[in-house]
Amino acid sequence: MSVIELQGVEQRFHARGTPDGYLTALKDATFTLQSEPPQIVSLVGQSGSGKSTIARNILGLQKPTAGTISFDGKDIFKLSRAEYDNYRRNVQPVFQDPYSIFNPFYRVDRVLWKAVKKFGLAPDRTKGLAMIEESLDAVSLDPAGVLGRYPHQLSGGQRQRIMLARIHMLRPAFVIADEPVSMLDAQIRKTFLDILLDFRRDHGMTTLFITHDLSTVYYLGGGVMVINKGSIVERGAVESVMHEPSHPYTQLLLDSIPQPDPDQRWTNRIHVDDSGTQTPDSAPQEPVV
Amino acid sequence: MTMRLLTAVLRTVRDSRRLATGLVILALMVLLAVFSPLIVHSIGHGNDPIALAAYQKWLVPSPDHLLGTDQFGRDVLAMVVSAMSVSLQIGAIAGVISTVVGVIVAFVAGYKGGWVDGVLSTFTGILLVIPTFPLLIALSAYAKNVSLFQVGVMISIFSWPFAAKTIRSQVLSLRSRPYVDLARVSKARDLEIIGTELLPNLLPFIGVGFASSALGAIFGLVGLEVIGLGPGGVIDLGQIIFNAINTGALTLGAWPMFVVPIVLLTLLFAALNMVNIGLEEVYNPRLRGVAGE
Repeated sequence: MSVIELQGVEQRFHARGTPDGYLTALKDATFTLQSEPPQIVSLVGQSGSGKSTIARNILGLQKPTAGTISFDGKDIFKLSRAEYDNYRRNVQPVFQDPYSIFNPFYRVDRVLWKAVKKFGLAPDRTKGLAMIEESLDAVSLDPAGVLGRYPHQLSGGQRQRIMLARIHMLRPAFVIADEPVSMLDAQIRKTFLDILLDFRRDHGMTTLFITHDLSTVYYLGGGVMVINKGSIVERGAVESVMHEPSHPYTQLLLDSIPQPDPDQRWTNRIHVDDSGTQTPDSAPQEPVV
Repeated sequence: MTMRLLTAVLRTVRDSRRLATGLVILALMVLLAVFSPLIVHSIGHGNDPIALAAYQKWLVPSPDHLLGTDQFGRDVLAMVVSAMSVSLQIGAIAGVISTVVGVIVAFVAGYKGGWVDGVLSTFTGILLVIPTFPLLIALSAYAKNVSLFQVGVMISIFSWPFAAKTIRSQVLSLRSRPYVDLARVSKARDLEIIGTELLPNLLPFIGVGFASSALGAIFGLVGLEVIGLGPGGVIDLGQIIFNAINTGALTLGAWPMFVVPIVLLTLLFAALNMVNIGLEEVYNPRLRGVAGE
């Protein structure tokens, strides 16, 4: 069993124009992700709340300014060679933007071949190709339709599913999915979420699913953490958090879901000011002059 | 591997008419330059056609001397052919040196960032604002009997910052692309990321850097020759133009002495630019046709 543990992780960036010269993107983030039993944990928050920073920290792309991130009890920034290989193999991302995730210079196959070669997945080319085809099949892509193509010849949904095929080949214990569906259209979105659920069931992958969209969280189920201005303000099972939110910000997020009821539109108004703070307002709005 | 690279290059060239045209012209000029000793030899029929008083002075173009002869009785065709080889050499020397230096500085500065970037960028900026030509004049006046290679090095000292500046800004924008992150989580090392993820996307910029340094050097040498400070004992295209202007060759009916070097320089300029634009077209997917051309 593997464990990712965040202990008091803080990320500050140099920023001009702030009082102390720093922008704190993430404050005292402490949580654990376990691979047994496989779970899906969603991390919800608005733009700029620090969700993507957590993903970059966990993936080792950004060293936090304070606190530790450990994989199986070892700090991920102080791993030995073998430990590093193991960590990379078991913690893999799906990024938000399916367009810039591919190097436009190469065919899309390269991303998959790279995974085969770098992680020694197959002993030879024939086995590697069989593996790639099997994985593309698992994410319902036609190998003949995507292999040998350049990224700009595929749709966003196809590209994002190639990233899932890569995950399928690597079978990591943890998938860090940073807003993977925010740039996909509705029906591809559901396909994508279903594949993630399949991966959990069939291959025991634990997913940290980062999103700003509560309806996808509801669909995935499992656990949820709500992050606001760099702090995790609420955590729990999706059902309890959704039905009995304890933090005002969570209540706000829930109020932000568009209701398919035209009459409600006029009663549930939300103010968003420039700092990103929102206040729910059920009273009728003053008309703007 | 080499086979695959070769077919990829061939396909690239076939797909872009501009690139193909530029490369063909460039290749022809390089061929001409490479075989210039043979050509000069065959023009002279065993004697040196560029020796002083090899023939009568100011012969008009004729079957014997296709481009006529100059004020010292040298064959102009032979001079032009060997001068082009000199001009291309200086372009190649300065182009290679300044591209290599520029690319290394740009990648170290752009990828490492922080104080390394600060120091390198400041240094690049300082070199960039130094007026090159007066300094070149001073340098070549000071160093007596400079060789062609030395002039090439002198010119490239001042032409690499241009390449470094453009490439650095591209590295800065490319290194934060998600595909670089993906390479990192796929266990790629820094050098591997620079070489396989960043460098190919920068080829057009590197090509532009090379071409502009090479052109700058060729025209820099032309400028030095005109004021008599060029390297000793070599004739480049600039010197022929200079002679033509100085002796009033046009009024004596020796127009090829003036026109041919200029046409060659223009052709070279056009060819290098076509290669640049062609490369840009090939490597920028937005300019590429959708769904397999």
